[in-house]
Amino acid sequence: MSDPSDFEKRTQQVLEESAARLDGRTLSRLTQARHKALDQLQRPARHWWRSYVPAGAAAATAVLAVVMWSGRPNVEGAVTQNAVEDMELLADTDAPDFVDEGEDLEFYEWAAGEVES
Amino acid sequence: MTSRALEQFLSGVEKRAFKIAQLGLRNDDDALDAVQDSMMKLVQSYASRSSDEWRPLFYRILANCIRDMQRRRTVRGRIMAWLPMRDAENEEDFDPIAAAPSMEPTPARRLELDEAMGVLETAVAELPQRQQQAFLLRNLEGLDVSETASAMGCSEGSVKTHYFRALATLRARLGEVF
Repeated sequence: MSDPSDFEKRTQQVLEESAARLDGRTLSRLTQARHKALDQLQRPARHWWRSYVPAGAAAATAVLAVVMWSGRPNVEGAVTQNAVEDMELLADTDAPDFVDEGEDLEFYEWAAGEVES
Repeated sequence: MTSRALEQFLSGVEKRAFKIAQLGLRNDDDALDAVQDSMMKLVQSYASRSSDEWRPLFYRILANCIRDMQRRRTVRGRIMAWLPMRDAENEEDFDPIAAAPSMEPTPARRLELDEAMGVLETAVAELPQRQQQAFLLRNLEGLDVSETASAMGCSEGSVKTHYFRALATLRARLGEVF
């Protein structure tokens, strides 16, 4: 009669061998799945307006510089409006992190709900 | 840096994750879908977390995917029961020999392994869900009790109980083969 640890080692060996001997089709599908998942890291920002942030930041800086140095009151109205829009875009960069934290909170709320019976 | 670390992590777990999903769902395509969904969710939501957390998080996500698919299958099965008989493949038992992997070692060794794999996989696939999870996460994936508890969303005591019961069932069933 084999002791538990021998049995565990044997079953582990067999399961690992089974996992190591997957067919080519399955291995290919797994590779594709992995690449598809990792592609998300390369994608443009989830929120369409995030792509405007770098341009918006540069524009806001240039606009503010023009306002401060040229001192042209009749430009200010239009400049201020654009600057405000750009600053809103910059401020909104905090939102994705908040959304991510929201998703984490959902995970932990769900985890807390999964109480051992 | 995160991308490379994530790729290494995912390529390291994908085969065993597939095996776990396959034994839980008894269907290769569903298992592949579950693994893909889990990878997507991990990268989407937890790429920024410490890499130490990825393993239990990934298996937690995988367990949820498997459970959700099993539930959908149950609902679909109830609906199908009201329809004219068809689709014998939905009623098909999991065939461990057909699902056994291909090629490699000496013929005699291969036969021995195939037989062992077949009976083991059948026995594991028939374990109650929580026992199956605990056994595969501890035995195949090598998670410790704490990580397994995190992945299963239960206490360490529960993990030990589920694992002990799974072992007892498997030993009673496979004692002659193993």
